[in-house]
Amino acid sequence: MSLDAIPVHVINTPPAEPGLSGNALPLLREISELLRHLLETGATGTIDLSALPLTPADLEWLQDKLGEGEIAVTLQANGESTLNETACSGVWWVVHRNTQGAVTTQFIEVAWVPELVKAHPQDVKIGQESLELLISDL
Amino acid sequence: MQGPLIDTLARQGITRRTFLKYCATLASMMALPPSAGLAMAEAIAAVRRPSVIWLPFQECTGCTESITRSHSPTLEGMIFDMISLDYQETLMAAAGFQAEEALHNAMKDNMGKYLLIVDGSIPLGLDGAYSCIGGRSNLEILKEAAEGAAAIIAMGSCASFGGIPKANPNPTGAVSVSDIIKNKPIVNIPGCPPIPAVITGVLAHYLTFGTLPELDDKKRPKAFYGETIHDRCYRRPFYDQGKFAKTFDDEGARRGWCLFELGCKGPVTYNACATEKWNGGTSWPVESGHGCLGCSEPDFWDAGGFYKALSMPADPLKIASAASVAGAAAGVAISVANRAKKGAARSAHETTGLADLEK
Ligand code: SF4
Repeated sequence: MSLDAIPVHVINTPPAEPGLSGNALPLLREISELLRHLLETGATGTIDLSALPLTPADLEWLQDKLGEGEIAVTLQANGESTLNETACSGVWWVVHRNTQGAVTTQFIEVAWVPELVKAHPQDVKIGQESLELLISDL
Repeated sequence: MQGPLIDTLARQGITRRTFLKYCATLASMMALPPSAGLAMAEAIAAVRRPSVIWLPFQECTGCTESITRSHSPTLEGMIFDMISLDYQETLMAAAGFQAEEALHNAMKDNMGKYLLIVDGSIPLGLDGAYSCIGGRSNLEILKEAAEGAAAIIAMGSCASFGGIPKANPNPTGAVSVSDIIKNKPIVNIPGCPPIPAVITGVLAHYLTFGTLPELDDKKRPKAFYGETIHDRCYRRPFYDQGKFAKTFDDEGARRGWCLFELGCKGPVTYNACATEKWNGGTSWPVESGHGCLGCSEPDFWDAGGFYKALSMPADPLKIASAASVAGAAAGVAISVANRAKKGAARSAHETTGLADLEK
């Protein structure tokens, strides 16, 4: 049976630009939904870009649409990671690289601040203790 | 030594953020939802290190080499800080009676709770005399160690399926772990050797959830063995276009065309090489110009020649009409079958192809 026999018509035809799969546009809607959720409940959300069928052109398109924000965070932890705010506040583009510089994973994180940027209370406590120690030695 | 894991890691200079990043990558690799990364990190950070006993039987130590020489020692090594490796002959300092004592103490102290890793097959010929440790046959040692294990990880193709020792005519009567042990949960991590990230992924899953990951019908974790090499191969567009290298040095080979006609077993081999790659993500067999040998499938050594093209779509695909057609025609048939089988997978692996090329 050929596909024509099934009465289904594609309404949103994928963009004609070369390399685009048409999968990036629905992502924008999902991000907007996550933002609404963040505003209403404070709950954060993450989209694993490496798990989705996106072409390099899709990723470029998405990056272009989301734009560049004011904050760019670099994390040195077993290779460099970048956690950059997009022009759309609350939407962060997170890229993890290994020590060889290859991209291992890419996420869109919808949050006030990306999880990895926050300091953990336990780590803050350790910092405070060593500062106290330092002061008492002076 | 036995405090929460995050403290052990901190003492070794591994920061919380490094650990969080590792867990995020691991979760993505295992196709878990992104939120699982954080959950994993929290669960693993708080966990007390489970005892692991690693027994080497009829093997070449390639599996141990694979994991201990994996690319970023801090990363894969990290998982080894998460477990208490109480017995591993190749790595441990103790020898002789001391080593045997360590094994028995670990088994006694953690009865019913330890994780047993086995690499190598178990020879049954001549009452197991082909491979003995301390005067005892592998069979005897395996049965004893399996008794108190919570679960068993059969590491590598030998432990999983019998591997090369079992190849025709199987002089030692080699069998796999699951041929012998029937009453314990077993996960097979085949590969000759298996990919280090897959080994650590299974350990991380066990640490996080306290269970083994979801397995396929050959007891392999679906997260890593859910798709064929061919499904995710970056040369796949050439396969789909019927562009095949005919020799290892022809024009097609130079242009990076598909290696199907040179004997690539990618279409029938379930493994993660095409996405995880080898040597720190540097390359993998097909990328270096050689077809897949199918090393993570049972009896790969006897599968009819590494350089002989699959003449028909093998088992999982079962397309009768393509059985007599070789080369390009069979190529298209398999690709159609896979597409029918996997629905939307096409765009997915094409993505991988392009992304991989860009690296
Ligand atoms: S046959 Fe081998 S080289 Fe060709 S696309 Fe499949 S896995 Fe890749």
